[in-house]
Amino acid sequence: MTELSPTGYDLPVYDYVRPPELSGSGSGHCRVAIVGAGLAGLTMACDLASRGVAAIVLDEDDTVGVRGASSRGICYAQKSLEIFDRLGFYHRIRDKGVTWSVGKVLRGQDTLYRFDLAEGSRSAQPPFINIQQFYVEWFLVDRIRELGCTELRWKNRVTGIHQDENGAVLSVETPDGRYSLEADWVIDAAGHASLVRQSLGLPTQGELGEDRWCISDVRFTKELPVERWTWVEAPFNGNRAVWQHLMADGVWRIDYQMLPNTDPQEASRPEMAAARLRDQLGPDVEFDLVWVGAYAYRTQLMDNFRHGRVFFIGDAAHVKSPFGARGGNSGIQDAENLAWKLSLVLKGQAPETLLDSYNAERRPAAVENIAVTRRSGRFLAPRTDMERLFRTAVMDLAVDHPFARLLLNTGRMCVPHHYGPSPLTTGDTGEAMPNLVLSSRPLSDMLQGEGAHFLALWCPRDAQDRLGSSLSPLTQEGWPLHIQAVSADDRKALGMAAGEVLLIRPDLHLAARLPNADAEQLRSALRRATGRT
Amino acid sequence: MMHITPNIPDPDAFYAALLDTHRGLSATESQALNARLVLLLANQIGDQAVLMSCLQTARNTGATHRRNDP
Ligand SMILES: Cc1cc2nc3c(=O)[nH]c(=O)nc-3n(C[C@H](O)[C@H](O)[C@H](O)COP(=O)(O)OP(=O)(O)OC[C@H]3O[C@@H](n4cnc5c(N)ncnc54)[C@H](O)[C@@H]3O)c2cc1C
Repeated sequence: MTELSPTGYDLPVYDYVRPPELSGSGSGHCRVAIVGAGLAGLTMACDLASRGVAAIVLDEDDTVGVRGASSRGICYAQKSLEIFDRLGFYHRIRDKGVTWSVGKVLRGQDTLYRFDLAEGSRSAQPPFINIQQFYVEWFLVDRIRELGCTELRWKNRVTGIHQDENGAVLSVETPDGRYSLEADWVIDAAGHASLVRQSLGLPTQGELGEDRWCISDVRFTKELPVERWTWVEAPFNGNRAVWQHLMADGVWRIDYQMLPNTDPQEASRPEMAAARLRDQLGPDVEFDLVWVGAYAYRTQLMDNFRHGRVFFIGDAAHVKSPFGARGGNSGIQDAENLAWKLSLVLKGQAPETLLDSYNAERRPAAVENIAVTRRSGRFLAPRTDMERLFRTAVMDLAVDHPFARLLLNTGRMCVPHHYGPSPLTTGDTGEAMPNLVLSSRPLSDMLQGEGAHFLALWCPRDAQDRLGSSLSPLTQEGWPLHIQAVSADDRKALGMAAGEVLLIRPDLHLAARLPNADAEQLRSALRRATGRT
Repeated sequence: MMHITPNIPDPDAFYAALLDTHRGLSATESQALNARLVLLLANQIGDQAVLMSCLQTARNTGATHRRNDP
């Protein structure tokens, strides 16, 4: 593992290998091609590999992270951590990163509001771990290599695409020249400026926010609690907002809200960053600036996340401002959502119609994330005197009135989307199950293995209950299903009634909750959950 | 449902108290007080549908009622 050098990080560089297509030996065809090795593309490749599905990943770069050591995403939500656990590299994130659960909203020196996300958390993973995005990508690459069925092609830039009903053809540029790659399915994970999207002429509704921010990633000697602190009006930043959060290697992410007309170049000069830090931490603080950079908020949303044989995941499909860490985390969930579906379809265990549910589930999730982050943005950058007046009223009341603390909005932390209205859901359910530990085995464990399978947990009425054996014909019928009885202890944790069956999807979302279940009810829930009706 | 029938026990006393609460304040301070008051009252109501009808009704009454919906 590399150490942080005074100038930044030493990131791994991956070898470019001349693609077989350019040596005349490649078939020029693959079942799944993934464009972009960022958080979303790599999670997709890793998830598919964990199910035994091979893919070719094409990335224009040959390292992790974006140009230089800028770390964009730092907060990884419980759902992402659960996915990393299922994929088998969570321990590396845990060991390298900073686990936290306490957040505070401050006004000057005073705490207006404090929350602890660990309260009520029932997952094997903590609510959040902070770690630089490139470490997550790095560990993903290591894990993908370990799993050994993915071809990672670095310095392979996709410049165009065309497709018909049978497949798509990607044009790829490499240091050795150009080649074409046919793929049955293409997953575009090339980020917000996706060329695939542009070359298909697909629109994306978008806007660039006026609000300007400047990040300083910095190490300093002063001891501070490992908590997420946010100021709505920080006296040391001209009464504008500030974020302060620790990530791996003892590096703090401090994010300063700027005046709307700030020149980004000027704001990110090291002297300016140093002055801001001294204003905040005192004139004598010793520090190393690891990275400084200004950015503006951006919102983008595609009309449909599927276009024929091409699926769009992560920032290629949707971009939102970083409040609540909803960007990378939702891209990771896009990948998980699509991976199990694609795996079932490729193995002939579900019809292609199942793949349409990717857009039906993940687009509403993106719409919700955009709405939630817009509200935070509006709280943090009031547009009129009236909006500012109400914000002041909220902060004034928050000191003594708990109800007003809930109106303080410095970002609502990322939570999994509820797939209630999804075509795959039976009845009034669709929420994500926490990664509960049942009889000392986490649910994520029970969902591992070749291919993708559902989990039917059944709750015996008494010791003689034959519900389990009445369900077992379903596995012989070929449904991708594991059936398991729950113990009396686990029953409580799951909130199950006697005679009930929970149908859990490969992504830990609930497909159905069936009270007084029988085989036919479970069969029909499975039919829905695999896109057959 | 938003109350449309009168619901304040002593209307005149309430109205007098409302005005008294603003006594001696500048227009800006009064606006700030009103904002706090709206939030406090909203929490007392605590019913999303009622709150939405109150917001609508306030917007669609008086000098703003001819403007486009927000
Ligand atoms: C300041 C800031 C803070 C953030 N904080 C958080 C946070 O705390 N938590 C969080 O979850 N998210 C956060 N985000 C959002 C997060 O960084 C993004 O959502 C995430 O990087 C998106 O991942 P992606 O894989 O979709 O796209 P990207 O990370 O943009 O990856 C795209 C990949 O595609 C490759 N590529 C692009 N074009 C081509 C091409 N033509 N051919 C081949 N390869 C190509 C690129 O090299 C790159 O590797 C933050 C963002 C910002 C700006």
